[in-house]
Amino acid sequence: MQRAKALRISPVGVRGIVGPGLTVTHALDFAAAFGTLLASDGPVLIGRDPRSSGQMLRSAAISALLACGRDVIDLGIVSTPVLQHAIRRLNAAGGISLGASHNAAEWNALKFLGPAGTYLASSEAGELLDIYHLKKFAFVEWNQIGKLTYSADAIDTYLDDLARIFDFEKLRKFRVVVDCCNGTSSTILERVRDRFGWPLILINARLEGSAFAHEPETSARMVGSQLGPLIQPLQADAGFLFDADADRIACATSRGEALSEELILPLVADGQLAKFPGRIVLTNLSTTALVDDVAQKRGGEVVRVPVGRQAAIDALSSFRPEQIAVAGEGTGAVMLPQFRFVYDGIAAMLMILTIMADRGQALHEIVAGFPKFAMLKGEVPLKQMRIPQLYTELREAFGDEGRANTLDGLRVDWPDHWFHVRVSQTEPIVRVICEGRGEAPQALFDGLMEQVRRLA
Amino acid sequence: MSKREHLLKIGVSGIRGVVGGFLTPGLACEFAQAFGTYVDKGRVVLGRDTRSSGEMLEHAVTAGLLAAGCEVIQVGILPTPTIQMYVAAIGAAGGIALTASHNPPEYNALKLFNHEGLFFNHYERAELLDLYHQSDFYQATNEEMRGVQVHHDRPMALHLERVLKHVDLAGIRARRLRVALDGVNGAGSHMSVYFLREVLGCELHAISVDPTKVFPREAEPRPDTLGDLAALVRRERCDIGFGQDPDGDRLAVCDETGHVIDNDDALALVADAALERVEGDVVVNLTTSSVIDAVAQRHGRRVFRTAVGEANVVEGMQSVRTAIGGEGSNGGVIFPAVHLCRDSYTGMAFLLNRLANSPGTVSERVADLPTFFRRSSKVAFEHGRLGPLMQSLEAAYPEAQTNRADGLKLSFPDGWIHVRASNTEPLLRIAAEATSASRAEQLQTAVEGLLRSS
Repeated sequence: MQRAKALRISPVGVRGIVGPGLTVTHALDFAAAFGTLLASDGPVLIGRDPRSSGQMLRSAAISALLACGRDVIDLGIVSTPVLQHAIRRLNAAGGISLGASHNAAEWNALKFLGPAGTYLASSEAGELLDIYHLKKFAFVEWNQIGKLTYSADAIDTYLDDLARIFDFEKLRKFRVVVDCCNGTSSTILERVRDRFGWPLILINARLEGSAFAHEPETSARMVGSQLGPLIQPLQADAGFLFDADADRIACATSRGEALSEELILPLVADGQLAKFPGRIVLTNLSTTALVDDVAQKRGGEVVRVPVGRQAAIDALSSFRPEQIAVAGEGTGAVMLPQFRFVYDGIAAMLMILTIMADRGQALHEIVAGFPKFAMLKGEVPLKQMRIPQLYTELREAFGDEGRANTLDGLRVDWPDHWFHVRVSQTEPIVRVICEGRGEAPQALFDGLMEQVRRLA
Repeated sequence: MSKREHLLKIGVSGIRGVVGGFLTPGLACEFAQAFGTYVDKGRVVLGRDTRSSGEMLEHAVTAGLLAAGCEVIQVGILPTPTIQMYVAAIGAAGGIALTASHNPPEYNALKLFNHEGLFFNHYERAELLDLYHQSDFYQATNEEMRGVQVHHDRPMALHLERVLKHVDLAGIRARRLRVALDGVNGAGSHMSVYFLREVLGCELHAISVDPTKVFPREAEPRPDTLGDLAALVRRERCDIGFGQDPDGDRLAVCDETGHVIDNDDALALVADAALERVEGDVVVNLTTSSVIDAVAQRHGRRVFRTAVGEANVVEGMQSVRTAIGGEGSNGGVIFPAVHLCRDSYTGMAFLLNRLANSPGTVSERVADLPTFFRRSSKVAFEHGRLGPLMQSLEAAYPEAQTNRADGLKLSFPDGWIHVRASNTEPLLRIAAEATSASRAEQLQTAVEGLLRSS
């Protein structure tokens, strides 16, 4: 079966390789559908990351929104969290963030944000898709067409809010190196440097249209590529790596070691639960069991939902904000209730530094206090569509005496290890994850991979 | 064939329609992407008039061009001739002006120019249309994506410099002529005020020069739409008044008595001024008044006639050595030494130059021209009926000289008849001209009679 790999239209938005996959027509029609969907009045905000194709998508989105009678405020090149923040502040009807986050430069995406600045709930996203497919857009008469304006103070007002939550006076004593990966985090951090007199050392800080210094992926591997080796020569206390739209991070200790991206959530959860004991840590089924240990130690609770931003967004809406300590995933993306549940890399970085300051400990010392887990990840191309059968056979072969969870693929838990096998939502592959306390369950992993290769 | 409203037209003249349900951002974007594919990822100049849909379409077209791998040079709100000249001046691969010219404000259109800044010819238009219909557009990748540049002042400066080469600037400035202007809140609003007041040093009385407002009158500058201009001329005792259309290519002229002169006479006055300065013949369309022949004769030049439509006249002008050309009835002056396009600024400059350098008022100069009596009308008409009408007309006037370049034109020693199908609407246009009013009426009535009986 031939599968399209260059374009993905899903409830979270439309994402693809510009040209062969994502075209100007997709952008126009989706923006028109979004302009048609929005219930409340008020302007629609647009922001983008620095990819060259962003300008094309921007013009397409602006045109469609104006044609729907929407006023548009263009924030220019800003991070997704800054855009989300501005939506609330400006009482906008919604926003469109143009940027492909952690994907390579040839990708781009349109992400749709509601009036609260958060991603659309599944029901709204479903309606957006229906309008898109029907192609019945609410274009207005010539004299009702919207107007385009620009706003340049979005970053500053965003920082005003951050300064209410984080003590920059305390944090600026840290010597921090940041790898901006030529993305939008530099626009914020340069302002932080000037405004709070915090001499952050920024690398790959130039906005680039296509020549990214490396893939904007927040992984330990990427930290090792450029950021890690700089930490000790620069005598820094910590290093952080951002993806292109600054919604997720990876980090490095003062010794230049890259921390696994899986450690970001446990770190932030530890800090949040110390402040708000008893609250919930919301994460997905593929995230490390370390969060369970951290939560148990701090008297919190872990709620696991299917993988993907959409499941987390939908789950969060069923809790009051003050019930949640943190929500996040193993990719380095976390949301804080103090910051309106927006995946925000800057806030995550500030939170980790705050924990270091409050405890007077270096990052490697904090991590050393965590129990050790070892994780193995693999992926197998999916060639057939008998997916439920795959899960059933795996459960029969490997599920012996474990506690099975079939909310999203198959997860089986034992006291000291677990595995999770699921079909990716974004690519035609089967993902296999195993984790064990202390040591990785290598034999289980090898067995699973072999079986999945045979069945997938 | 059932009658339908012409709210969208995608054809050889580009794409034009009512904004909202018909001319959508999607259509504009696809057409622009086809254009961008056609010009093979080159630089494209993009400008627009002041219509409320202009900004929306500007972004749709920008998106389409970028998607095709073009570099977009946005010049913003400018007259169409200024945009055309800029395309050629910077060596761009093509240009697009977003303007529905003299159509009502709910319309908009994409006007397409080749690398010389000229309207696409028949061949280019047909090729582009084929590309559009095949939907086989170039889809640039992120790596191939080029950006948008904004060029602000240069296009206007370049246009005005070219016009000023052909007039006596010091002479005009010295006269401090009293000039009235109706800019219809169009694309020329700022440029015309700057040109007439700052550059030519006129005492300017301007109305409707706010590009943020809607058109205050019917957009086509004609005697019956320029009442406010006429009143302004009388109130301020101006030497001359100018009326523009929304994209600044057409010009209507009001004399010092507040009488809006016939567009054919205005073309004749500008031609008279131009022929004094440059060598070459005159090219006009078949419907232009014979007054142009009299003016050309004074200067010993020939007159060539083409089918109606700016592109046709321009093609005609390229095939002979032309001093000046134009289309009388719709107020278009084409002076190739500035650019091969209709340009109201050339028209204004030549007329002011004439007023400054030689005695006599505008009305006196019009009175100097031979008098012809013109009648024109349009009749709702089903396509396909023109052929039989042409045959019966020819049979009714066996003595006439015939020209079949665009419908049928019958010429007599004392006048002519021209019938043709409109390019844009299902209309038959009838024009008749004669040296006496009664003869003109007789010719027109005869055609209308034949039309009823055929």
